[in-house]
Amino acid sequence: MGAAGSKLEKALGDHFPEGERYFGLENFGNTCYCNSVLQALYFCVPFREKLLEYYEKNKNPADPEENLLTCLADLFTQISSQKKKTGVIAPKRFVQRVRKENELFRGYMHQDAHEFLNFLLNELVDILEKECSAAKDGSENSSEKVANGPRNGLANGVQKEPLVTWVHKNFQGILTNETKCLRCETVTARDETFLDLSLDIEQNSSITSCLKNFSSTETLNAEDKFFCDKCCSLQEAQKRMKIKKPPHILVIHLKRFKYIENLGRYKKLSYRVVFPLELKLTNTMEDADSEYSLFAVVVHVGTGPNHGHYVSLVKSHNHWLFFDDENVDMIDEAAVQTFFGSAQEYSSNSEHGYILFYERLSNETS
Amino acid sequence: MNNSSTNASTTSTTSTTINGGISTPNTGLKNYFKTPEGRYNLHSEKSHPSTLLHFSHGKSVSQVTLANLKEKSASTTPTSSSGYSATSSVRSAAAKLLGTSNGGRALSFVGVNGANKVVAATTKTASIGNSSNGGSLPMANFDGKGLYIIFNVGDTLYIGDLNTQEKDPIKSINFANSNPVCHTFNPEANAKDGHDLLIGLNSGEVYTVSLRQQLQDIGKKLIGAQVYNKDGSINNSRCTSLAWVPQGNGAFVVAHADGNFYVYEKGKDATIDSSFSLIKDPTHFSVAHAKSNKSNPVARWHICQGSINRIAFSPDGTHLAVVGRDGFLRVYDYQKEQLLCGGKSYYGAILCCAWSMDGKYILTGGEDDLVQVWSMEDRKVIAWGEGHNSWVSGVAFDPYWSPPSSDSTGENVMYRFGSVGQDTQLLLWDFSMDELVVPLRRCPPGGSPTYSAGSQSSQWDSAVPSGTLQPAPCMRDVPKLSPLVAHRVYSEPLSDLIFTQHTILTACREGHVKVWMRPGSSESISTDSETLSSSTEKTPIPNCK
Ligand SMILES: [Zn+2]
Repeated sequence: MGAAGSKLEKALGDHFPEGERYFGLENFGNTCYCNSVLQALYFCVPFREKLLEYYEKNKNPADPEENLLTCLADLFTQISSQKKKTGVIAPKRFVQRVRKENELFRGYMHQDAHEFLNFLLNELVDILEKECSAAKDGSENSSEKVANGPRNGLANGVQKEPLVTWVHKNFQGILTNETKCLRCETVTARDETFLDLSLDIEQNSSITSCLKNFSSTETLNAEDKFFCDKCCSLQEAQKRMKIKKPPHILVIHLKRFKYIENLGRYKKLSYRVVFPLELKLTNTMEDADSEYSLFAVVVHVGTGPNHGHYVSLVKSHNHWLFFDDENVDMIDEAAVQTFFGSAQEYSSNSEHGYILFYERLSNETS
Repeated sequence: MNNSSTNASTTSTTSTTINGGISTPNTGLKNYFKTPEGRYNLHSEKSHPSTLLHFSHGKSVSQVTLANLKEKSASTTPTSSSGYSATSSVRSAAAKLLGTSNGGRALSFVGVNGANKVVAATTKTASIGNSSNGGSLPMANFDGKGLYIIFNVGDTLYIGDLNTQEKDPIKSINFANSNPVCHTFNPEANAKDGHDLLIGLNSGEVYTVSLRQQLQDIGKKLIGAQVYNKDGSINNSRCTSLAWVPQGNGAFVVAHADGNFYVYEKGKDATIDSSFSLIKDPTHFSVAHAKSNKSNPVARWHICQGSINRIAFSPDGTHLAVVGRDGFLRVYDYQKEQLLCGGKSYYGAILCCAWSMDGKYILTGGEDDLVQVWSMEDRKVIAWGEGHNSWVSGVAFDPYWSPPSSDSTGENVMYRFGSVGQDTQLLLWDFSMDELVVPLRRCPPGGSPTYSAGSQSSQWDSAVPSGTLQPAPCMRDVPKLSPLVAHRVYSEPLSDLIFTQHTILTACREGHVKVWMRPGSSESISTDSETLSSSTEKTPIPNCK
């Protein structure tokens, strides 16, 4: 382990970024789903900075209540304050906390990294919201809480300023679900917030194409008609999803685990889905096309949904790193392409990009 | 037409049965596609021997080079240089004899220095289907005798004979230490040593050889090669693209994965390496010349950070287009060593580029799934082709296509081009400046006029000064093109595309090449008459040259 660390240091040499730490994470029995996501989040720099800030603010609380947020902030601080530049850290307290909070992750079974990410971000939001409303209690009446309550939807129309935590500021985007009644042509728009986009995938396609399909027009008819408020009846309609507000950090989850009805179980889709290092969201309602840069990929290794391994690729200071639990290695940017998937169903390649993390580039023009 | 459809399907079936080892599963791939001018039929497939497993598979992508060796195969002079030519006619005769036995293996004859030898039956013929129509075999009269393709798979470079329908290559050249990754051929390279084929390796090394010499020897070695940048002594990053300088007296250009390309001249000593000054600012374009005028390479152009993915000279050799990882197309005045114009892709790397025959347009394709049409006159992107569902890996204008004569009024010039992508599709596009519908622009930067349709484009390019790079355009500002034809060619991502006079060649990343016969071509060949099929009366001519 120590040797691997020094190997990485040697590889980077003088290019080792000032103040940066590259630490592997110990595996506590199938916790690679957790480790891979933690590494991606650690190298999501705006998110990391907020956590370190949070740790600083809450270092010596009167009431040292432990929760997922404090455990994560502790862990990130522990990594960033290491004297050595590389090495291995055991995220023991964090993993214990995860297992305490959610029975899903209690066992030693293979877990889904996306489910974990989703759980983690929503937990963090809950904790931050609770802290925020606790702080506000007394000083204000909590009409805001109502607007903020359900995370999904109802934001349309009269919009009270919702409580926006820094988790939201980083990850939250808004989708608009537009439905057009084909009889009266009235368009009904409903907003939904999201922390990540789950995309259906196709063999030999690109993320661009998957995003296009995601926001393509779908016709609601037959069994699936739409109740038009204006016509006061079920009507055929066209529905499409548009990204109203692109998030700062765009997390794309590729739906590689698909329930196959006639098998009665999940199957892994090893499809080759290419993802560019730069991406633009086209179907936004904003004027300029928002541009993103890829900085992390959580990779699922294996052929089935119930077993396998997770690793992550991370871009830090223009170097790509490969995190596999305890091990950290440098890889070539071109090697990212080896995680696209398999062009043929039966292939020896089993390392497939599963969750992609893109960071929005600041707009040079405006 | 009926006849040709039967041919095509037979071809496909037999090729799967004969080469059972190659996985051509029934994935609903059609062996024809329709265009307004008629039907393109699958003529043959070229591939590497299926028994070979390539460990490096997937790491290097197959590219295809077309080589039209000039000497006619009919004239069999017993000189060493035409020995191979005798081959071609003998082989055809052999195939004719043996082709009738369905599924049988054909012996293949390869002439070495005029003498014909029987070579172990490692090659098989897939041209059986055609014998049923009683006519002569297509290969006997295939236009352009001496038409070969060169393609790389893993550590091997293969040479396939386009004159026959044989699937297996006629020669394979093994590279022991590094993979061949790019290659190009120019019959008029005009080098003193007769070298016409350039091969670039993963290691950065470059070889020049004579294709004819390779064909005269059936061994697995490269014959009579000249090596440059040996052991990567000048540049040890991967070769990414090569080009002979048109009318360059054997000069050639080699692009590398580190953003540099080098100019080599044949007269110079290949054994002396040049030294170049250090690149002061890697973010800036710079050209350095060799300190000695005897050594090779003679110049280093530093283009960009990250890989150069493709370079292409304009047909007259004055301009050089360079595309790469940073998503920019850059067009240089090659003689003046100056940037003329260029621009950024919508997003992501640009993977391929190609010139129109008249040098007016450049196609690029890349990681934004778009086919981009760049106008040299306007110095900007004038259209985006939307239709691929993944990265665009190959683009080319069709120099043999001629527009339908009925509506060609005045100066409206039509172009046909094609593109292949990692979505396994071949797309064909028709493009005419007059038919471009330029969207109304909402927020004109710098007060440029509102565009309507059509060719007043020259009015709005005045804003683009020479020698500058354009930023990525907004999606809504660029006119869109839709493909004429979308055809799924293979179950693997595609990597390359070539138009020949009678065919379209498509290649997939794993090194399978498909030969698509143009409408009318197969009939005219099989009947050996001068009248073309009724569906197409026009003789294909290169556009606007
Ligand atoms: Zn209605």
